[in-house]
Amino acid sequence: MEYSNPELPEHINVSKQHPLKDLFVLGLGFIVCIIFAVTGLSLIAERLAVYIPFSLEQELTSKFIEPTVSNIEVESYLQALADELITHMDIPDSMSITVHYVDDDMANAFATLGGHIFIYRGLLALLPHENSLAMVISHEIAHIQHRHPIMAMGRAVIIGLLFASLSGLSANLIIDDVINSTGMITMLSFNRGQERQSDKTALHAIAAYYGHVSGAADLFHVLLNIKNRHTVSTPQFLSTHPLSKERIDKLTQYTADNGWQADQAVQQLPDFIGKL
Amino acid sequence: MFDLIVFLVLLTTGYIFGQWLERSHYRSIRKREEDLRSIPVIASKRLPDELCPCHTRMVVGNVVISIDFFKKFLASLRYLIGGRVSSYESLIDRARREAILRMKQQAKLAGANYVFNVKMETSSISKGRRETIGSVEVLAYGTAIIPANN
Repeated sequence: MEYSNPELPEHINVSKQHPLKDLFVLGLGFIVCIIFAVTGLSLIAERLAVYIPFSLEQELTSKFIEPTVSNIEVESYLQALADELITHMDIPDSMSITVHYVDDDMANAFATLGGHIFIYRGLLALLPHENSLAMVISHEIAHIQHRHPIMAMGRAVIIGLLFASLSGLSANLIIDDVINSTGMITMLSFNRGQERQSDKTALHAIAAYYGHVSGAADLFHVLLNIKNRHTVSTPQFLSTHPLSKERIDKLTQYTADNGWQADQAVQQLPDFIGKL
Repeated sequence: MFDLIVFLVLLTTGYIFGQWLERSHYRSIRKREEDLRSIPVIASKRLPDELCPCHTRMVVGNVVISIDFFKKFLASLRYLIGGRVSSYESLIDRARREAILRMKQQAKLAGANYVFNVKMETSSISKGRRETIGSVEVLAYGTAIIPANN
């Protein structure tokens, strides 16, 4: 009997496929799946988040938001203005709105969980009159009224959980981390549709409170100017919002559609705001 | 962001070194296979009569090869959808051929002209544990046939 071990072709036991091609195909497929999962889960989370009772939101934030008052005079003025605006808005009794004044140069304002609104000194200093400030406040109240912060958190938490479970971390450890890092206090990002919705609701409140909407659009002129001046560091209030020019056009259109007047005298801001 | 950079560095390092080592290993395997082709390895247990009289002794070849980060990542992507894990195929192929070569090397030193009853064992060192280096061990063993007149 004759025994031999002839040379065998190389590609029988090993695929000829280039590893980088494999990586590209698999990686692309994976990314597409993630995008679908994230989009789908975000939509579901946003739909469901509105069913979370507001009292739970307040309970969550009570641990994080400390009741420190940096300027009692400014803060009570802002709160009083907010309370006035609320009476003209469709806010359920269970919801409470708390306005906080932040002594910081940043031209920013945001609404977060638990009905908390933060307004920065930097933004107050730029506002020309009370009507534009009322626009800022009612816009933020509208976010809370439409439950946008809890929607954003719901979305952030569910996506955070998705990524955490993908990376295989143990579930017990991450819950806290996820909630903390996805912005209990920090600015939650709202999408353009939510911004437009809030703009409209805010205009209704302004029209009901003042009897006209004069000066409301000035807020966006102010924001547009900041944007032009500091092209590098766009304030947060702007970054996730629709472009101010586009917003002004929409607001003008909406004002005309509703037959509101926009050429009335505006209310001046109190002196202590101007001195900030 | 930092994690992503570390990941990309590991992936690139894994790819460059992994591929380089694999190519040079294959070159060496092919060369040594050619050198040792004169000693056939046979799976059969039964020794043909014409090879007797002879001495026999056991020869063993053993190798452990580690995967690189790139291969592991590619396999983990594959793990999601299934299919041929081509990144591991070359790893197992190298380990198997290297183990046989080492066994043949021993047989050659013993003056054998055949290795009969060749068997192989494969085991994973990491046993699927997380956070460990995945590596494969292949053990090849057989009976070397040394002609009696040697």
